[in-house]
Amino acid sequence: MNAETTLIGQPEIRKDAAAKADGAARYTADLALPNLTYATLLRSPHHHARICSIDTARARCLPGVIAVLTAADVPGARTFGMIPDQPVLAIDEVRHIGEPVVLVVAASLAAAKSAAAQVKITYEPLPAVLEPKPALAPGAPLVHPGGNLLAQFNVDSGDLNAGFAAATVILEEDFSVQRVTPGYMETENSLARVNADSSLSVWVSSQEPFIDRACIAAVLNLPAERIQVLSTVIGGAFGGKEDSSLAVLTAFAAWATHGTVRIVNDRRESFVAHPKRHPARIHLKLGAKKDGTLVALQGQVWMNTGAYASYGPAVGSLLTEMVTGPYHIPNVSIETQVVYTHTPYSGAMRGFGSPQAHFAIESALDMLAARLGLDAAELRRRNLLHQGDLLPTRVRVNETALGLERCLQEATAARERLRCIPATPGKVSGVGLALAMQSMGLGAKVPDTSSHRLEWLPDGRVLIHLGAPDLGQGLITVAEQITAEALELPFERVLTAPFDTRDVPDGGVTCASRMTYLVGNAMLAGAAGLKKQLLANGAALLQVPLDQLSYAHGELLLPGGRHYPASEFASRAAEAGQPLQAEAAATFPYPAETTPQHLPAGMPHVKFIFAAQVARVEVDPELGTVTVTDLVAIHDLGKVINRLTAEGQIEGGVSMGLGYALYEDMNLKANGQWVDSFTEYMLPTSRDMPTRLELHMLEYPEADGPFGAKGLAEITVVPTAPAIANAVYDAVNVRVKDLPITPEKLYAAVQ
Amino acid sequence: MKTLTVHFTLNDAPQTLVTAAGRTLLEVLRQDFGLTGAKDACGGEGECGACTVLLDGEAVNACLVLIGQVEGRRVLTIEGLAPAGELHPIQAAFVAAGAIQCGFCTPGMVLATKALLDHTPHPDENEIRTALAGNLCRCTGYTKIVAAVQMAADKGQNER
Repeated sequence: MNAETTLIGQPEIRKDAAAKADGAARYTADLALPNLTYATLLRSPHHHARICSIDTARARCLPGVIAVLTAADVPGARTFGMIPDQPVLAIDEVRHIGEPVVLVVAASLAAAKSAAAQVKITYEPLPAVLEPKPALAPGAPLVHPGGNLLAQFNVDSGDLNAGFAAATVILEEDFSVQRVTPGYMETENSLARVNADSSLSVWVSSQEPFIDRACIAAVLNLPAERIQVLSTVIGGAFGGKEDSSLAVLTAFAAWATHGTVRIVNDRRESFVAHPKRHPARIHLKLGAKKDGTLVALQGQVWMNTGAYASYGPAVGSLLTEMVTGPYHIPNVSIETQVVYTHTPYSGAMRGFGSPQAHFAIESALDMLAARLGLDAAELRRRNLLHQGDLLPTRVRVNETALGLERCLQEATAARERLRCIPATPGKVSGVGLALAMQSMGLGAKVPDTSSHRLEWLPDGRVLIHLGAPDLGQGLITVAEQITAEALELPFERVLTAPFDTRDVPDGGVTCASRMTYLVGNAMLAGAAGLKKQLLANGAALLQVPLDQLSYAHGELLLPGGRHYPASEFASRAAEAGQPLQAEAAATFPYPAETTPQHLPAGMPHVKFIFAAQVARVEVDPELGTVTVTDLVAIHDLGKVINRLTAEGQIEGGVSMGLGYALYEDMNLKANGQWVDSFTEYMLPTSRDMPTRLELHMLEYPEADGPFGAKGLAEITVVPTAPAIANAVYDAVNVRVKDLPITPEKLYAAVQ
Repeated sequence: MKTLTVHFTLNDAPQTLVTAAGRTLLEVLRQDFGLTGAKDACGGEGECGACTVLLDGEAVNACLVLIGQVEGRRVLTIEGLAPAGELHPIQAAFVAAGAIQCGFCTPGMVLATKALLDHTPHPDENEIRTALAGNLCRCTGYTKIVAAVQMAADKGQNER
């Protein structure tokens, strides 16, 4: 696959950049539609309460008010979700602060808000449980009638007792990670319109518009064909827009009022009413021989999934798979409990369990190295995962892991370099490293396909009908670049249609570091299909045998040098009403013969991505503050498709990992309210990024990846926090085991 | 409801607006003028910079400016930075540097950069980071944004 390429790896400029730079790009909240009305939500002020009564009479009479809706007005299914436990609007009970209870639609947003203030809801507060361990205790208040344990995952391999018996050192530690928000700049929002033919058009800012469509169909009791879901420019997602709540509410509001309705979550609503990265507690018991060989790992994980399931179970299963990190440990037992609590729900977010798992294992390994008197990098080297090793899921690692050793080598070398930099006077410096692995794909036994369509336009350009939305990360650019390469066309001659479920095939959810792999392979298949169509069409039209024709650079060639541009055939075919199109689909491979079948659906994952990051920090011991001065990020991408977007993913992931390490924490304040604004929730700013950020992009080809490419988006965030934590320890000998590493914690520990 | 009559210059065009008092400049730009380049990403709290516009050449959060405060002043939004169909050199640098991912923060970043380079045509990296510290970006990690500002400055491409 690594033959000469012309476009692959090139820093092509994404085609939407100019419109984003000059303000012309229209995000969903920027779309203007005639007769637009606005809705706002009344949300629960309680962690847990019974709804005794809702009095909407006064609100309904106010000027401009069109409808005041409650759960009783929902025409179809009153709940939705992968596990459909989430009410469209609360039914009799609220289970977290911020849960939507009443929907007010009015001619203006101001009128909707005034009316909402006149709705009288009486609640009877009920006991709430906010942490997983208390939620599992006997007699705990129930979040749902079936009990608070939403899901449990167990992964076992080898003989744990024998493993610990063979260990000379056993380390046992508890780690915890906090609740964080995806923090995309564009908050969740949606726009919906009932059309003259009683169909419904819904614009979403979503990673999963086809799932949104299915949820809307169920909630409104409509056939999916009556619902058109569209997506325009999306202002970031990071997993948090794998959630249909706003799409469903807006569609419901439009349907109930036969109108056109917009709902935009403000930032405070976004904090409390949309998925977060799971807070988790992780207990690790790690056994090693004197020489550092890891012989046993026991892990117990409690994940706080909040009030509704969302993707919590799937996150739990992947977290379980990631607890051992990129290491070979022969005897393993891991148990993960995904627990309902009366808190804003957690779900998908960049890394999907891997950041939590790696903070624990990568911190623990440094602690173990110290205990054994071994170098932390050397300890990792001695236990590194290699091709042929069995993972705890009993997946045998294939060539997907070939780049890992080099990641560690480069990280070790970078660490030595960074150690030579003298500390700023008054500060103490330290250097730490961490490795990471991340899966690609959704896991075995769940549909993991992505379908798209390619079309020759009459002018000879190629149009991609991409079945999954670009979230801002550059999926479209990657798809166009691969398609252009495969068809030997200039990048400018491939473009992408706007997302519309009436036009595009179902490309699945944009998630799970699977899109470069799946969309890339789909584009290769589609490009081959387009060539075939063009050749067949050309042979018929030119009345020459098919084997006399060949394809190159968007043209058909005849022996003797005559050539015809694709537009000759594409334009005629389009005029005849049969445009030249090809299906472009790819399915993630989980070969039955090599994929263990003993685990639940969604497990195991079989293809992986690897990385290492090295952080140098300076700690001010008098203030407890940490500055990350240097960060070296070493990532195996399999193959770089677009250098600029690949670098952008890593740089963005590092900043998100830095926020996870040092600043971000959506916790419950003393006043009983969640941190719900950027005033208290500190996102990294331009001043917080390392002064020197160095990227190493390795290319160990993934056997069946497009041009050898792997996924990238998620792993970029995974090693950052443990690398920083290890660097902080190196600097001040203080091990912070619960993120974030705030000045308060560090100062107290240093003193 | 109390109304105001406000005279101001918007992207070089004089405007007279009769509006309810108490509205923010951001609301007026987006709702009354259809200028949606300025975004609301923090809920009108001045925390994110996505609604940055230039008021008499200074970068301000439009969500924190009441419409009455623009009386007699010049407002420049992203839509007015370059003639239609053209990119200002700062915008071109953002595009070329790969500084744009989701793009939601971009208009604010570009205008914050414009304000910086008008005052400080050749900023060092620290000055750039400080000037942009009020503009949040969740996608890029700021690296390529800082590079874009440097690129625009190095080329001396901020002729007004």
